[in-house]
Amino acid sequence: MKFSYNWIREMVPALDIEPRELLRLITTKTAECEGLEVVGAALALASVAQVIHVEPIAGSHNQIAIVETERYGKKTVVCGAPNCRAGMQTVYIPVAMTVIQGVESDGMLASGLELGINRDHTGIVELGGELLLAPDSVIEVDNKSLTHRPDLWGHHGMAREVAAITHQSLRDPVQLELLPKGAAQIGVQIEDLALCPRYSALVFENVTVGPSPLWLQYRLESIGLNSINNIVDVTNYVMAEIAQPMHAFDAEKLHGKTIFVRSAKGGENIVALNDERYTLAPSNLIIADAEGPIAIAGVIGGRDSAIGAQTKRVVLEAACFQAASVRKTSVSLKLRTDASMRFEKSQDPVNTVRGLARAFELLYQVSPGIRLIGGVADCKADLKTAPSIDLSIEWLIRKLGRLVTAEEVREILTALEFGVTETGPGSFSVSVPSWRATKDVSIKDDLLEEVGRMIGYESITPRPPLIECAVPPDNPARKYEREVRDLVAARGFTEVHNYSFISEEMARAFHFDPDAHIKVTNPIAADQSLMRPSLLPGIRRNLIDNSRRLNSFRLFEIGREIHPRLEGLPEEIPHLAAASFAREGDGSVGLFELKRLAECLMPRCEVQPAPARKYEHPRRSATVSWRGGSIGRLFELHPSLGVEGRAAILDLDLALIERLDQREERYQSLRRFPTSAFDLSVITGLRDPVGSVEKLLARAAGSDLVEIEFVRQYTGAPLPEDRKSVSYRLTVGALDRTLSSEEVAVIRNRIIDAMREAGYELRV
Amino acid sequence: MAPGQRPDSLVLENQIAQLESATLARIHAAKNLEELEAIRVDVLGRKGSLTQFSKEFGKLTPEERSSAGKSLNAAKQSLESAFDERKQGFASEALEERLEAEWIDLTLPAPGTSPGSLHPVTRIQREIEDLFTSLGFAVLDGPEVETEYHNFDALNIPPEHPARDMQDTFWLSDGNLLRTHTSPVQVRGMERLGPPLRMIAPGRVFRNEEVDASHEHTFYQVEGMMVDRNVSVANLIYFMKTLLSAIFHREVTVRLRPGYFPFVEPGFELDIQCLICGGGGCQVCKQSGWVELLPCGLVHPNVLRMSGIDPEQWGGFAFGLGLTRLAMMRYGVDDIRLFASGDLRFLRQF
Repeated sequence: MKFSYNWIREMVPALDIEPRELLRLITTKTAECEGLEVVGAALALASVAQVIHVEPIAGSHNQIAIVETERYGKKTVVCGAPNCRAGMQTVYIPVAMTVIQGVESDGMLASGLELGINRDHTGIVELGGELLLAPDSVIEVDNKSLTHRPDLWGHHGMAREVAAITHQSLRDPVQLELLPKGAAQIGVQIEDLALCPRYSALVFENVTVGPSPLWLQYRLESIGLNSINNIVDVTNYVMAEIAQPMHAFDAEKLHGKTIFVRSAKGGENIVALNDERYTLAPSNLIIADAEGPIAIAGVIGGRDSAIGAQTKRVVLEAACFQAASVRKTSVSLKLRTDASMRFEKSQDPVNTVRGLARAFELLYQVSPGIRLIGGVADCKADLKTAPSIDLSIEWLIRKLGRLVTAEEVREILTALEFGVTETGPGSFSVSVPSWRATKDVSIKDDLLEEVGRMIGYESITPRPPLIECAVPPDNPARKYEREVRDLVAARGFTEVHNYSFISEEMARAFHFDPDAHIKVTNPIAADQSLMRPSLLPGIRRNLIDNSRRLNSFRLFEIGREIHPRLEGLPEEIPHLAAASFAREGDGSVGLFELKRLAECLMPRCEVQPAPARKYEHPRRSATVSWRGGSIGRLFELHPSLGVEGRAAILDLDLALIERLDQREERYQSLRRFPTSAFDLSVITGLRDPVGSVEKLLARAAGSDLVEIEFVRQYTGAPLPEDRKSVSYRLTVGALDRTLSSEEVAVIRNRIIDAMREAGYELRV
Repeated sequence: MAPGQRPDSLVLENQIAQLESATLARIHAAKNLEELEAIRVDVLGRKGSLTQFSKEFGKLTPEERSSAGKSLNAAKQSLESAFDERKQGFASEALEERLEAEWIDLTLPAPGTSPGSLHPVTRIQREIEDLFTSLGFAVLDGPEVETEYHNFDALNIPPEHPARDMQDTFWLSDGNLLRTHTSPVQVRGMERLGPPLRMIAPGRVFRNEEVDASHEHTFYQVEGMMVDRNVSVANLIYFMKTLLSAIFHREVTVRLRPGYFPFVEPGFELDIQCLICGGGGCQVCKQSGWVELLPCGLVHPNVLRMSGIDPEQWGGFAFGLGLTRLAMMRYGVDDIRLFASGDLRFLRQF
């Protein structure tokens, strides 16, 4: 929202603070200002000029004009405007002398655009008297910080703030007593007073439609509104001044003598002022005549009933619509307008007739001969006064953490036009002005803000709170994730963050079940339309991107998988996905590096060959299990997924690990007697997992086994091609004595027998 | 010669002395451990020349024997210690030699994998977690997919409230949404732990906006909240000043100004005095001397009430701090897209 400094000063006449300082004060006490802009700067030097003589320049559309200026005397200028003619009154600006087509031009005659008073550049300004316009400063306020303040969507509201901040008096631009009494010339029927608590209207005749006077064009232009014609400009002016959106209908184009405010009927449609056709639904509130929709309530008017050059009679609307209803309609039609933005903030129904009074006054200025017919049509709900709020000074002091006096509080609230009645020592009953009561202020905490911001938060001394000390509740899952991060990073992996979204294409590439995804109904891009049920698609992207630049690297992510559930919120499972990439090599290094990483995270975890998933290398995939639970996968990424080189991946369910980790393990007492060790070599199939040989050996050794350690595996002569020899060192012992060499031999033979029974050949 | 001594014994003692000095000279001249050992065997061994002298003791009177014995022992001791000394000399020389030979160039790179690194946002997040934990705050987690109730309604943002526009929302096919802020964890914290309460909730949040150098649809925030019997604006300012001074490792100047967030009343925007120009005005602070850093405020009584806390008995403050933004400030990152790029050239710098 843009605010004109000069406009505010019309309502705070004693304002003597520079615009930049005013901007700072508004920012610290009311709402965030985003910028300051000077408009109409050229007006500072501009002068009224009478064109005395004009002569053409051969071969050019330009003319030489001799003008008599009020401030600079007689001047000769070159002017290209088609409307430049002797006898006209226009505006001269003293710019530096230039030579145009061999003619010296001492200054220039200016268009509205050049002066910053409107967007007209078709010719030079046609002046009809004095030039009373001056440069202005425009303060732009962040709309977000006005979300709760319907009153600040007009200059009068901001002027009230400025008056309170600067301790000056405020002038109300509205003279309500101007409104005529008597029967209205038009009827109004509201179907649902909850959706439209008030609809007020006036009817005018003998209207002349034409351009607005320059001052009005300039005002609108300076705050970013386009000048249309005198009638429409007045409605916009009133909206920008007192935050009351208004609309003018061409009365001749309305059917019947009653305006209806009702829900649209299914199938009804309207061509709006922006020339778009909107199909309406029963959730859309409309303004209608006997035939059908003439406006979308609170959003936009209809083209067919718009003011045109021929308009002679006007119905002027000033209404109040329910914020939620306007917002819903505006969102569903994807149409935000100056009106809808204001109504969304819960406008004050008291304001409608104020809007009519102000517009009435202005229309008499800008459309000479205009006549009001009849009184105000005013259909409204029972407008209740908001209940007063009890406020205690002691409570205010406690909440602010700073002393305030009853006098300060009274002054601040009164300046903002709250009603303040003392109900006892240090306690007040505060009534809320109607324009703050629609939503913004209803409880004492809201008054705390009024007092706080006006005394200035910078006047509060920071103070540590007095609170009981206590150990905060633990968060073991977070602690665990932190340990995992540290460990994985220390082992050479760099942490990445990937989006929680994946594309449908990726889901297909990974063969994820399409029903296993939650979809984003309004994705930002087509390739981010599904919630990730796995971190792997993101990791794959990291692998592809980084492999373009690096020959080998390691990276990991800790993030959440999102899985749908039949009821309630989806399941969010924290996962670790770590990847090791190498362009060269057979890929085993990366896989074992990740196996070791898993072992660091979970000592004695087991890696077991398992049927590969679609995205895993079919001969290089395994489950990782720990303490009896399967907690993840170790695999090489399937080459079909587009990574050039070898990518080993470890994918672990951290929630599961963290749960299993809570299981307590008992300490085993230290052995007091020496142990004995011997080696055994087992011949097995080339592709038989060594892990199962180890398991069999351990099982055969039984409770005598202290430790089993892999020594080596061997292939080649004299073994046949499809066999390998696997050697283990077994350490055996007893808890209560030293085993004799005979006993050790017995154990060894028992193991050998057991292995042979299981079909293995041993090299002894 | 001592008076009354016989010439035999004198000769013997003389011979011992001569052998001693000759041996000392040989010890000194020995070139290595083997030579030294040969000399030792030659002189002190069972058949060594010094040992042989004792055989001659039979010829002597007891007095003479005692005197000669003393001389022999003294010579033996002196030679033994000379041997030891020389031996140690050889050992230390050998050690010197070995050490000298074992030179290693420690400027060579260490074999194996060099350490990886943590994401810059993780690093910042940890600092903040540690700081607040030290102040007695719990660190809580909440779901990234949230209910409309927890993300909006329970924070005093009912449907059709224009404040919903302030946070463009991703909606999901199951009717839930991606949390637009970490504030819902406040609600969950209050519901679960009740007052008094001190908590922070760091995490990933989502906004449906176009991505460019300064906007991301996915970023990180930390939400903080304290609920107790008497919590004032003065307390809030104190905490924010403490927090920010710790984060920026220097005393910071803060200011509060009105800001609108439906879940706090009063609501503030907190600015810090620009750390680049010190408040004088520069490009970073757009010449204002201040940089907007975080929204905060006293918890709205409706929010307390909705979480089952009596606002007449309890009050609190809440704040939200953008971790991604903080990481950008701390490390001077000028393109927010780098954080989710997975680009190791960027991430390895942390």
